[in-house]
Parts: sequence; C-alpha cells; structure tokens
Amino acid sequence: MTTIEKAPSQALAEPPRGRLAALAPYTSVLRIVGGVLTLVGAFLPWATFVLNDGPYPEGATLEFFSEPFGVSGFRLHLVLLGLASIVVALVPVAAKGRIVRGFGWGVIAISIVNGLYITVEGGGFGAITASDGTAAFGAFVALVGGVVLVVGATAGGIDPPTHWDLKLGRVVEWLILLVAYAIVLLLVAAVLTSGGQGGAANPFSGAVFLSFLGAVGGAIAGLHASGLLGWIARMSERHRIYSVIVLLLAALALPLTSAGTEYWMTVAANIGVYAATAIGLNIVVGLAGLLDLGYVAFLGIGAFVAANLSGAAASVVGIELPFPLVLVIAAVVAGCFGAVVGSPTLRVRGDYLAIVTLAFGEIFVRSAQNNIGGLTGGSNSIPNIPPVELFGKGFNESVTIGALNLPSGVLYYVLIVLIVAAVMWVFGNLKNSRLGRAWIAIREDEDAARAMGIRTGPIKILAFLIGAMLAGFAGAFFAHKLGTASYESFRFLESVTLLAAVILGGMGTIPGAVLGASVLFVLPEKLREFADYRLLLFGLALVLIMRFRPQGLVPDAHRRAELAPESEAPPDHPDDGPAGGTTVKAAAT
Amino acid sequence: MLSTLLSQIVNGLVLGSLIGLIALGYTMVYGIIQLINFAHGEVFMVGAYGALAMFTYLLPTFIQQQWYFALPLLLIAGAVVSVGVAVAMERFAYRPLRNAPKLAPLITSLGVSIALQEVIRVFYPGATAAIPFPNIFIPGTWTISVGDGVVPIKYSGILLVVVALVLAYALNMFVERSRMGRAMRATSQDRDVARLMGINPDRVIVLTFALGALLAGIGGVLYGGFYTNINIDIGFQNGIFAFTAAVLGGIGNIRGAVVGGLAIGLIKSLAGQYMPGGSAYDYVWIFVVLIVVLVFRPQGFFGETERVRA
Repeated sequence: MTTIEKAPSQALAEPPRGRLAALAPYTSVLRIVGGVLTLVGAFLPWATFVLNDGPYPEGATLEFFSEPFGVSGFRLHLVLLGLASIVVALVPVAAKGRIVRGFGWGVIAISIVNGLYITVEGGGFGAITASDGTAAFGAFVALVGGVVLVVGATAGGIDPPTHWDLKLGRVVEWLILLVAYAIVLLLVAAVLTSGGQGGAANPFSGAVFLSFLGAVGGAIAGLHASGLLGWIARMSERHRIYSVIVLLLAALALPLTSAGTEYWMTVAANIGVYAATAIGLNIVVGLAGLLDLGYVAFLGIGAFVAANLSGAAASVVGIELPFPLVLVIAAVVAGCFGAVVGSPTLRVRGDYLAIVTLAFGEIFVRSAQNNIGGLTGGSNSIPNIPPVELFGKGFNESVTIGALNLPSGVLYYVLIVLIVAAVMWVFGNLKNSRLGRAWIAIREDEDAARAMGIRTGPIKILAFLIGAMLAGFAGAFFAHKLGTASYESFRFLESVTLLAAVILGGMGTIPGAVLGASVLFVLPEKLREFADYRLLLFGLALVLIMRFRPQGLVPDAHRRAELAPESEAPPDHPDDGPAGGTTVKAAAT
Repeated sequence: MLSTLLSQIVNGLVLGSLIGLIALGYTMVYGIIQLINFAHGEVFMVGAYGALAMFTYLLPTFIQQQWYFALPLLLIAGAVVSVGVAVAMERFAYRPLRNAPKLAPLITSLGVSIALQEVIRVFYPGATAAIPFPNIFIPGTWTISVGDGVVPIKYSGILLVVVALVLAYALNMFVERSRMGRAMRATSQDRDVARLMGINPDRVIVLTFALGALLAGIGGVLYGGFYTNINIDIGFQNGIFAFTAAVLGGIGNIRGAVVGGLAIGLIKSLAGQYMPGGSAYDYVWIFVVLIVVLVFRPQGFFGETERVRA
C-alpha cells in the first residue's frame, strides 16, 4: 500500500468545528475507546432472559458465558467492526476519521436494531438492562461504543475519501475485479437470505436482516472512505466489457449460493420483473423527463396479452403460441398502447401530462377489473397460465445438472436475468444514441430542443412507445412466472412504487433503476413483521427522499444538478453524522 | 323514464357539489404554487374521520342524538382536523421544497397521500373496513312524484348542495374582495413581485392550504352524512375526481371548480345509468372526459388561454 498516493487535487482535512473541536486532541484515544467498548458490548449478555424459541438469540442471552466461543450473528459483526476501528486508529492510513465514522454508524445501527428488538420482544426496558438479579448491558455498551467511535472520528476532522491512482497489469486487474464481483455476489446472497424467510414461523427475520444491513452499510461506508471501492469502480470502468460479462455471470451464479432455494429464486425473479419495468419507466421519466403515473398498465397489458395467448383455460381467445413469439406480441401490443398514451404529449406538458397518464392507468385498471371484452378475467383473474416450456421442460421444474440439484424457479430466474440484461443493454445504447440525446435535450428544455431541430413530437411518443414495449416484455414473463394475471397487480400504487424505484435509484441511470427496484421490493419481502406499516413507511420514505436525496442513490451526472435545489449544491452525504461534515462534497466525483 | 333521469341528475348534483367543494382546494393551491396536491383528497378523508372520532369518543349521547347540536360540532371538528393536517403538511413537506424542481413536490404529495391514508388505516380503530357515519341532518327523504315514478331527494343531500354553494360563494367573495384575497391573487401572479409589495408569500400559501382544507374538511363531514359510511379510499377517488373538475373548469378559477365539479357529478351519474357498461364503467367515462379536455382544451371552460404552463 505504500505505492498509493493521494491525488494532488484532494482537499485537506476539514478542520473540526463546533463543540467537537475541544475533543480534537483526543481523537485517537476516543476511537480506540469506542472500538474497545464495542468489543466489550459484543461479549456482554444482551438480554436478561433467554429469548423465546427460534434461532435469533444466537447468544443474545445470559447463556453466553457458558459457551465462550459462540460469537456469531450480530455479535460477530460487532467484533469485526470494533477490531477494524481499533486497527484503523492505530495504523497510519489516510481518511482515518471518515473510515472510523462509517464503522461507528454501523455499530450504532446494530445496537439500536437489536436493542430495540430485544426490548420489544422482552416486554420492556428490563430486557436490556437488569431484572431479577441478572444484568445484560450489551446493547448499551455497544451503543455507547458506536457513539464514541463516531464522535472520536468526527472530532479529528473528516477527510474526503482517499483517491487511489494505482494501476496494475491487465491480468492482475482482471483477477481483482473477479474477486470483487465474487464478493458482491456472496454479499447479495447473504443480504437476501439474512434472517431467513420472514413470516409467522420466523419472527426474528426482520431484526436480523436490519442488523445485518447496518453491519454491511457500516463496512461499506468505511471501505468507501478508504478509497478501495472508488479504486475498484474506476478499474471496472477501464475494463467495461469484461466487467459486464463477469457481472452477468455473477448474477447467473446466484442460484449456486446460499440464496439458491425455491423461495429466494422466486423473490429474485419478481425483483427482476420490476427492475426490467423500472428501466423501461426510466426511459420515459429519467431520459425524456415525461412523468408517467400509470406506467404499470403496460406491464398489465403485456401480462394479459401473454395470458390470453398462453392457452390458459380461462382465456376467451384460447390460442396457444410459443413463448418467444408471445413475448414479441406482448411487447408490440403494449408499445401500441404506449404510443396512444403518449400521443397527448403533443399538446400536453408537465403536470397535466402526469394526470393524463394517471387517467389512462385508472381506465386500464377499471376496465381490467370489469373484465373488458372477457380478456382480463375481471375479479377472477386469469388463473392457470401454463409455465414457459423449452425442449419439453417446464420452467417451473427443478433442474439437475450432474451432481448439482437446483430448485424449481431457477430457470425463471435465469430467464429474467437475461431479460434484464437485454433491457439494460437496450437502455444503455439508447441513452448514448442520437435518440437518447434528443430525449435528454427535451427533458432539459423542450423549446430549445425544438429550436435545435429535434422533432419533439414523434420523439416523445417514441419514448412512451419504447418504454411501454419494455414493460410489455416484462409483463409477458410476469404472467407466465406467476401463473395468473390479475388486475390487482397493476394498480396505481404499483405505478407509484415503480416511479419511486426509479427516483430512489437515480433517474436516468441503469444501476439506479435496478438498485431502486431491488430495495423497494426486497424490503417488504424481508420485513414481513412490519407488513402493516409497509405502506405508511413507504409514503414517509417518499417524502424523506424528496427532501434529503432527490437525486437518488446513484445520481446521474447530468441529472445531478437538475434535481438538486436550485439555490444550493446537491447534498452529497445525507448519511453524514449530525455533528459531521454535512458540507463535505464527494471530491472523488 | 323521466323519474330515473331526474333521480340521476339529483344524484349527480349532490356528488358534483361535493366534488366542487374539494376541487376548490386543488384549484387554489395549484393557482398559487403550481402544485397538484395529491394529498388534498386525503385531507378531505381525514376530516371525515376526525369528525367521526369526535362523535364516537367525545360527544355525550344526548348530543349525539340531536343533529342540530351534533352537526355544527362535527363540522368544526372535521374542519379543524383537516386544516391542522394541511397546515402541517405544507410546513413540513412542501415548504422545504419551495425552490426544488416541480417533480419533487409532486412526488412528495403522492407520499403524503399514501402516508395519510395508511395512518388512518393502521391507527383508527376498525378503519380497515367501511365505518358507518352518524346521521347529521334531518333523516329521511323528500320524494317528488314525477309522471310514472318518484324522485327521492335525501335531506342531507340538500344540505350538501346548499353548504357547498354558500361556501364557494363566500370563498369567491373572500378572494375577490378581501385584503388577504388580493394578496393571494398577487402571489399567484408573481411571488417575487408580491414579496416586494410587502406580502409574505409563505403566509399566503399556508392560508391557501388552510382554506382549501377547511372546505375539504366540511365536505368530508357532509359526505359522511349523505353516504352514511366512510372508508379510507374516499379521499383518493374523490380527490382525483375533484382534480378533474378543477382542470375541467380551468385550474386556478374558483367558479370553474364548482361548475367543473357539477359537470363531473352529472357525468358520473348519467354515464353510470345510460352508457354501455353501466355503473361499473362510470369512472372510466370521467377519465375519458379528463383526457379529452386536457388534450383539446387544457385551459378548461373558464381558464385563461394565455397562461403559460411549465
């Protein structure tokens, strides 16, 4: 690591400000104390009683000292974060403060999630303090440790993330990328399966998942600060094609990891459907800047077309066509509707267009609900859509290759990964094409675009048409995978969720739409215990995203300036600590 | 059947007055800050639940049984709850986004709408299903016989129409005659210049939200009284209708909102009776009308043609 140099453009460490400035001389001590407290917290008991049945406790009880080497689950994460903080505090590395702060937030998240959970499950505050002569202060000690870490890290000033200029030979870089993507794959699998399948039988899953998320988030924040992630990102940018291939292979390899069960394959395939649809919506909203509030209707049209051409008994059409042909027909039909819905864009702009699309979406749902023309099955839906078949093999069956036995749902997962990859490819090429640039020009200023010789009318309709085709494509897959097509899957709320996925991820970017769709469809799956509050939290999240991070998780370079408040620069780090450098800009970009 | 036609017209007028009442809130907010406040429908719904909560949990039985005691109290409760919610949402959700691009507040309003609906569903006892609303006016029906049949008119429907028209008239007078109304009109024309003239735009905007919410809250109580039960979906549905009405009448225009509301009410009840598909498709016809109006006459019946929309 001695060859790594800080780029000359890097700003100096921001001087500590405010009340924390007094603590500046003690930063190293504070960081070490925080790390030690975290370790101590991890080894203390966490509950004054044995939590009721199930795997959650993982030592979150008084029984810990009877098996001293059983550090697992969230306590293991705490040990790792605590040790890492101490090491960083002692070893000379750049951007120390920022790294430790990331770890500290991770520790805080873990202690709050688990402490709260044990308090709620244990029936009160006594569960994490002392009752009946037993004491369990693990949660408090760890929380204090986390706070001390963050305070200690911030007091010394927050450097911008380190910028590594290291370049290695092609083969070495390829190997590093391969390892990095393998780690990403394992991490995705671990996040997906952490806490196990939610539901009544497994009441711990939500807490375990959130705690794991906190640990991963803290670790990633620390690694980002150390410059490692930026370095790898730039490396993958240099080897673009290689990265794309490896990423695709990694995605296809998910069934081989711990996520390779029927349940998780189903979840992953559903996420894929919404990711593909979100990318389609991203063309309309993110690139062309046309707000569409009824977009899910196109997914529905694709699904109903496929349902009617599948030979399902409930369909009045009763034709059975091969699946690839159905995919194309569904995309074309949805595309035609897209052009119709898009045609008012010739005369209507902005908010009014949003209302027109909302009206189309509502017309679609009402018509489908009333079984228009007998095509949608109404409230009975169209059940028993046969699964996709290829070479006489149903896609819902399990697969055995040699000694490898893959669960059912794998084939659908592979298919949707390929579909998403294809959709991403289409989107990526469109974005950089003449057409894509025309869309962006229209988004930025329609009158100026027209003055530059762009025929805005047809090009706007084309955005709707292509976006709708992608959704129709995904819809055909959706109908076969689900086995039913029901109007209930295509309501206004679904449109809002898709829109939220696009915005949360970052408008106009490919990874954004996929990331947004994953987050918005994984979270409800993982947090079944909070199912009652799901929509409430969703609504509040929309408000908070718009308030604090309107440009999304992966902001588009062009979009960035536009969705930020007009008067000030975009808030780059809403995750900064309360006392932290909220004015720190991401210098690496 | 003449009596069927007349009954549907009566139904349409009652629903239309209600929609007009809600549409006033949409039209005023849009006129001032060019925001489609999707959460306005929820403000209406919250008003109905607020009044219901007071009736159920606070009022002693002897007041509950006398509508002339209960009605004013319920109206006040509904208005207070709605205004409180609207002012809070303006303060905490929309004001921080005042200079943000237009998409941000629009999506925020969707979020607020979902959140409000869910707050009621999760925390109001029994709100997962429709809840019966108390009788707030002279019970019963006034029937007029027409030729071969009768046209029933509920007294609570008459109340709704009268209150809606009176409130709309009062609002119109307020906006056109009062000092504060002039400040509102000035702010809607040019916020920066209004500020130079000594107007505090933030206060004007809060007042706009509050006035809209006042009408919506009263509308919510009257809705409950007329339709005899409420559920959490009434906000979104009627909100969309009301927005349609506001556009139909010319957004930003008070008289337009009322006329648009009556038109939407009539379209819904008449289309449900006479168009193919019947009442299952009455929503569809409203949206078809909305699209046609937006495409061919986006400024509505009474809107100014020259207004530039972004």
